[in-house]
Amino acid sequence: MRKFLPFAAILAALCLSACGTSSPDALANNDPYEATNREIFAYNQKLDDWTLHPTARSYNRNIPQPLRESIHNTLTTLDLPVTFANDVLQGESKRATQTLTRFTLNSIVGLAGLFDVASGMGIPEHSEDFGQTLAVWGMDEGPYIVLPLFGPAPPRDAVGRVVDIFFDPTIYIRIKQHPWWIVGRNYFTLLDLRARNMETVDDVERNSLDYYAATRSLYRQYRANEIHNGAPGAPQPSEE
Amino acid sequence: MYKFPQGHYVMAATQPLRLMLAILVLAAGFAGFLAPAQAATPAEQYITDNVQKGLTILNNKQLSKDQRRTQFQVFLLGLTDIKTIADYTLGQYRRSASPDDLAAFDDAFKDYALAVYQTYFNKFSGQTLQVTGSYPLAADESVVKTVMIDPAKSHEAKPLEVDFRVVGRNGRLAVIDFSVEGVWLREMQRSEFTSYLGQNNGDVPTLISSLKKKAQQIR
Repeated sequence: MRKFLPFAAILAALCLSACGTSSPDALANNDPYEATNREIFAYNQKLDDWTLHPTARSYNRNIPQPLRESIHNTLTTLDLPVTFANDVLQGESKRATQTLTRFTLNSIVGLAGLFDVASGMGIPEHSEDFGQTLAVWGMDEGPYIVLPLFGPAPPRDAVGRVVDIFFDPTIYIRIKQHPWWIVGRNYFTLLDLRARNMETVDDVERNSLDYYAATRSLYRQYRANEIHNGAPGAPQPSEE
Repeated sequence: MYKFPQGHYVMAATQPLRLMLAILVLAAGFAGFLAPAQAATPAEQYITDNVQKGLTILNNKQLSKDQRRTQFQVFLLGLTDIKTIADYTLGQYRRSASPDDLAAFDDAFKDYALAVYQTYFNKFSGQTLQVTGSYPLAADESVVKTVMIDPAKSHEAKPLEVDFRVVGRNGRLAVIDFSVEGVWLREMQRSEFTSYLGQNNGDVPTLISSLKKKAQQIR
């Protein structure tokens, strides 16, 4: 998922974060601004409860599954140039070729990405972003930070999201520079993500004693898995 | 000059080639013979045999909701090592907890974990498990990689990746964690519990009380 992330939001969040206090547990979790992060997380959760969650539920109920699948396919096809750029930057030639083939097939045969022809031909979907590229190059994640509206965004991933904007060719197409294009695409990306993970997110929230800590762990583990491209290395090696 | 019969020339010329060919054929046959031997490790076999049993319970529409829950809990207790998981999730607070608190925590965690695991396994209802491989973590531990095949989804859809961390101790294999798309549940629970305890002065009885309430809510 790519999200437009204004620099102002990052700066505002960093300023807010500086007000946080650091308990020993927060420091152990590399979450020095935990108190502030929890406040922003609670705010984001309310926003989700009031807006995104009901909209995503209505979207799942009222839009037929094949149409939702086509919208998802189109959105992921639009993301493929960013994935391709990051495949190349990570030196992943095989995955870069897969991405290029997926883009060509799904754009042309799949009618502008409406149909995922490539997966049917055994070329699997994968996603890369500049945050992952920075991780592959050896950069640490940095302290855990939650941004208003945008959710978890440690510095490495926040920088990655900003850089990815410039890898996206659609921002250079004059006709697409209309703000509605950016707003609409990001809105549908967010809606698609929320709708596809509706049950999982609801389950995690319902089963959690501390939803904030669960989300932090989930985010870090999921990112680690993405960075490793699903290869061994994600689980903790042994017990204490 | 004595001339060898024509056939002898041919035989002499082709003998090394035949020998090489015979070695290649034998080698290929041997490799083909060896390949099935590495098909399934004991951990992979354990997951193949047992997790499918759990899915069969969830898919059994003839059972009532209560019967399904009871049978699935018995299955989970046999599949997993709940005590090891419980110990791990307490993190550093395990060292400072009293034996009574630890025993009470183990009981509360068992109820909570069984309820949570059933929630997640219910998502795989109607699907079949396919083991795709495994890799070792230690001499007695490995991760078994699987995918859940959902017949309701189109063949283009990427199958869900579910991995199981299997440990072999005292002559018994047991699952001590599982992950969905790279997110390990035990790790997530440890992060939650230690964070919760951090905010409650490390008071394990408070955690136990919350776990009991949560288990009831989930059911």
